[in-house]
Formats: sequence, structure tokens, C-alpha cells
Amino acid sequence: MKAVSRQQLQELLAAYVGEPEGLPPIDPDGQADFIAEYFAAGAPELKAVFFLCNLSLRILSFLLEGRSFSRLDPEARQELLNRIIASRNPLIRGIGVLPGLPLLMSYYRRPDVAVPLGFDAAALKKESDLRVVSRDRDLPPKQEDAS
Amino acid sequence: MILGPGDVKGDVSRGADVVIIGSGAGGGPIARELAGEGYSVVVLEEGGYFTREDFNLDPADSYMKMYRDACQTITLGVPFILLPLGKTVGGTTTVNSGTALRMLRPVLKKWHMTHGLTDIAEEELNLIYGHLEEFLFVKRADPEVAGKVAATFLAGAEKLGLSCGWLPRNAKECEGFGSCAFGCPSGSKQSVDVSFIPDAVKSGADIYTRCRAEAIRVKGGRAVGVSGYFVDPVTGRPDGRRIEVEAAVTVLAAGAIYSPYFLLKQGLANSSGQVGKNLQIHPATQSVALFDEPLGPPKGIPQCCYVDEFKGEGIMLEGGTVPPEIHSLALPFAGRRNASLMTSYPNMGIFGGMVSESDSWGRVVDLHRPGYRPGMLYTLRGRDVGKAKVGTVLMAEIWFAAGAKKVFTPFAGHYELAGPRDLRRMERSRVRATDIFGMSAYHPLGTCRMGGDPEWSVVKHTCESWDLEDFYICDGSVIPSSPGVNPQLTIMAMAMRCAGFIDDRLSASS
Repeated sequence: MKAVSRQQLQELLAAYVGEPEGLPPIDPDGQADFIAEYFAAGAPELKAVFFLCNLSLRILSFLLEGRSFSRLDPEARQELLNRIIASRNPLIRGIGVLPGLPLLMSYYRRPDVAVPLGFDAAALKKESDLRVVSRDRDLPPKQEDAS
Repeated sequence: MILGPGDVKGDVSRGADVVIIGSGAGGGPIARELAGEGYSVVVLEEGGYFTREDFNLDPADSYMKMYRDACQTITLGVPFILLPLGKTVGGTTTVNSGTALRMLRPVLKKWHMTHGLTDIAEEELNLIYGHLEEFLFVKRADPEVAGKVAATFLAGAEKLGLSCGWLPRNAKECEGFGSCAFGCPSGSKQSVDVSFIPDAVKSGADIYTRCRAEAIRVKGGRAVGVSGYFVDPVTGRPDGRRIEVEAAVTVLAAGAIYSPYFLLKQGLANSSGQVGKNLQIHPATQSVALFDEPLGPPKGIPQCCYVDEFKGEGIMLEGGTVPPEIHSLALPFAGRRNASLMTSYPNMGIFGGMVSESDSWGRVVDLHRPGYRPGMLYTLRGRDVGKAKVGTVLMAEIWFAAGAKKVFTPFAGHYELAGPRDLRRMERSRVRATDIFGMSAYHPLGTCRMGGDPEWSVVKHTCESWDLEDFYICDGSVIPSSPGVNPQLTIMAMAMRCAGFIDDRLSASS
């Protein structure tokens, strides 16, 4: 994931995902692999936008908090993000919103996160595999034929 | 047969009666109808071919395999709007919600009066709709499998006395695995890849996948085929092999974004100057509701019910549930606030509202972006922003009537509604397009519109180009204005008509 450094990615993941109660912690390395794959499959501009948002977030941190994003405590980082996301200025809001797309997806798609929330894709897949849906039309029952 | 990259050795050069670019709601039905009539049909599809075995209920995996740009296609304008586009055999029908509605009656009258399309008769269209509904097993969603989120929302709407009901869907024996937009894992959804395409193949059509059309071959003012190249499944770049198909009739059915892009790149069929213009989409917002009690298991039909109380004003509510990774993106918060809500995922419901009759128009342009990518310019006008707000307020009102504790909206300044007081405040407020946190849109239409006047339209009512003989365009791009509902059935109906005209043309020449 070359758009940001590993440390920056860890900070961003922690700030966006928070620490959902009863769910596993973030896994920066594993999630970074997914994010890299997601960027590679998409429009090249998105990776650049992610990089720019990260940079802008760090500038906004100086402007609004007087400290670098890395030096803020985890709670303050989340507060800053929520302030940015709540902004009515679309450019500023975009800086907070866009990085959330790959970051949140990379966390909540993990089976060890989704299953405790009640979404077990593997179990649903197994169940759906048992279904046989043909395009044949059912013949009407004989009684209806007779009537 | 359906041919993947491994099935083709070297370059391909062949002939056919008909060559079709794209295998979605436009190309699929044409391929089936004409192959069924005994014509030799070749289809070039840029995406890959996936079956129910590949559909694993993993949204991100499906985005990367079956959507253009991994579902990162975004319009440029205010606000930025996510416009998902399918890129696979079956086109967007493989990854849509399966809603199968006929267009609203007044829309056809508008087409007659405004677009000169009096040749499209209501009776004829109804016959085709009826045929399609039977072929695609269209029936209303089964409340037994719809899921509790939908049932709760409908209960709220009924409590308020709003017009609502279960959506007609092209699904057979659906058991609600909740994954329509990521490929139906049970094969219930009758998308083009499981309905029209298998029939076309049975009748002898050849579908080349991972194959991008590059140019229409033109000779003496007539289209005489297509040239293109195969692409690498991972990088999407040319893999060195080319394809040339010589055909009596050429059909462009690459969708309302890529069909005009293709024509603009080649400078073809655009004497009207209308190619790429008149882009209409259905912009949508969502509302997320939090309840005290769980809303049942994750199974259910993601989009199975509607509220159409304000369809005349261009507002339709349709929706249901989404997996956690998509749900988390709909919450306008980060960190602890997002986390605490996500731990209540089982207690939450989500619903969508779309502006089904929009006053905003956009354009598809060639911005010379890297790769094979057009630019989509679109700005939401004031009246449509108002409709989006009205739709969102209505959804919130319905959720509260159904017993929701809180409702979350995408409008800055109104992210969290704790009750009727917040709702009234939102209702009274003036909102701007820039206030919307995250907007998506669906159903791009109109960019090669059909019409009765060659100066204002790109194709005739038959879908044949005004400029180029033996060249037809048939997909969402020819639909001249929003049908007021999800358009897949209307696009298929136009494709059935178009197939009839191509059949006439081919039989006349033979």
C-alpha cells in the first residue's frame, strides 16, 4: 500500500474504525493487502485522491488542532475526523469521507468481524449452494387442467 | 459458446450475421432473439463470465470482479456521485437488485409528444412487457422471505397511510440470500447471464469475454463489423490478441456511459451532436434506522418493497438490507461513533430513496483519462436536491412511525435525527447539493437518445443510427428520459423491438 506509510495507515484505520466493542482489533497488515488490491482494481485516480486526503488531513490537523495528526491522542484523532465529516464545506468533508471507503470496508469485510455481527457469508454461501433453481416452468396441477 | 481468454488461441477473424458489443439488458435479449431466428451472432463482452459458484456474498470481491473500476465510478460535479456500473456477462443486470417494473404510463406520452416517438405504441410495449415478465419469472417479492427490515419499513409506511407494496422482481423461487447486487448465489435472479445468454448460446451464439471493442468498421456509409482486442483479466490492458468480426449488422449495447464514450472516441454517428449529452441518472440517498430490538437474521431480499406515494413528483423509495462492510459506509461518522453504531448492526435497517424524475442533466465526455475511462459530468440541480431531501425526510418519518429510536441521514447538519423535532428541523431547513455526505446513483440513460428528429436524436425508434446504415444502438443510452422507475425491463423491451427490426432488415436482404 504505497499511497501512505504503514504507520499512517495504522493511525487512519484506528481513527476510522475505532474500537468496536466485542469485535477484534484492526489488522493493519492484513487490511493493507486488501486496500492495495482494491486500489489496483479501480480507477488510478482513487489512489491519488486517497494520498491527497491523507496529506490534507494532516494539514487540517495542524490548522485546527495545532498539532500533527500523529501527535494527537486516538480520541482526538477521531474527534477531528468527525468534525471534518460534519463540515458543510464539501471539499473539507470529502477529505474525511473518501478515505473511509477502503478503510472501513477492509475492516468490516473480515469474516472474524462480520460473523459476530450476524453476517456469515460462508454459511449463507453453503446454504445457497444447496438450492437448485431451474428455468423450467412448473406444469399446472391436474385439477386445474381439468377445470 | 461462452469463450474465455484461455479458449482463444491467437487473433480471431471471422464473419457473422450480427455482431453485438455488450451482453447486458440491451445486448443479451437481441442476441437471444436473433440467434433463435437462426442468424449467426457474435457478442463481444469486455467483462468476464461468472456463475453462481463464483458469487460468494462478498461485496468487495464482486466489486473487483464484476463492476467497472471496482465500483469506484464517480461523476464529476456537485456533489460527487457514485455511479456503479456492471462489467460482466449480463452487464449490470448481473449485479442489480432485480426490480422489474414497467415504465410509468405518462412517460410514454411524453416520449410521443417531446421526442417524436409515436411509433412506439402502448399496446405493443405492453405485449412485450408481458412476454418479458413471463420469460423472466417476474412476480412480487414474497413477504415470507423479504426479511424483517423490509416488513418493518412497510409497516411504518402503512401506519402513515402511504401508498406502498412489494416490488415485482425477476427472481424465481428466491429465498433471500441478500446478495443481489453482488451476484445471486442461488441462481434465483433471472439476470441476463442466466436467462437470455444461455438461450442465445444454445441457439449457437458465440460470446467472447474479456474482449473490448475498439472500432466500428465502416464502408460506404454502412457499418460492416467491429474490430477489437482481448484484455488481461487482472490489468484490463490489451493482451496482444486482436479480434475482427465482419457482420451484416452491428449493434452497440455497451450501456449509457460506455456506448457514447465508444462513439465519441471514434467520432461516429454524431451528426446531431447529441452523443454523450442528456445523461440522466437516478440520484439516491439513504436513511439508516436504529431500533431497540434486532431486525432478524441477515437473510432477506435487499430491495423488495417500495413506497410510491410521491412517484408523480419523481420520488421513489426502494430498499432493504446490506452487509456490514457497506452498512458502515452509510454512517456519517468515524471512530467511536461509527463503531458503537456498527456493534448495533443487527438492530439497524437501511432504506434508499431515489429521484426517479430528475431535472438535472449530465454528459459523458472523453477526458483522456488513463486507461479506457470516460468522464461523467453531472451536477445535481436545486429542485432535485429538494426531492432528495423530501425523500430522505419521508424515509425518516416512516422509520420513526415503525418504532425507530434514531435515524441517520446523509445531509450535513442533519446526520442524526433523534425524533420528530429533529425531523421538522430538517424539513424546514434549506439544503444544498454540497450538503450531501455520500450520494450514489443508478440507471444511467439518455446519452444516445432515440427520437423522431435526426437533429435532436442519435437513433430512430428502431434503434438504428440516423447516420450509419446497418448500425444499431440499444441499451440504456437510447432511452430518451427516465421511465420513472428502475429501467431494466424497459431497456429489454426496447431490445426486443430492436431485434425485430434487425430481423426484418436481415430477412429483406437475404
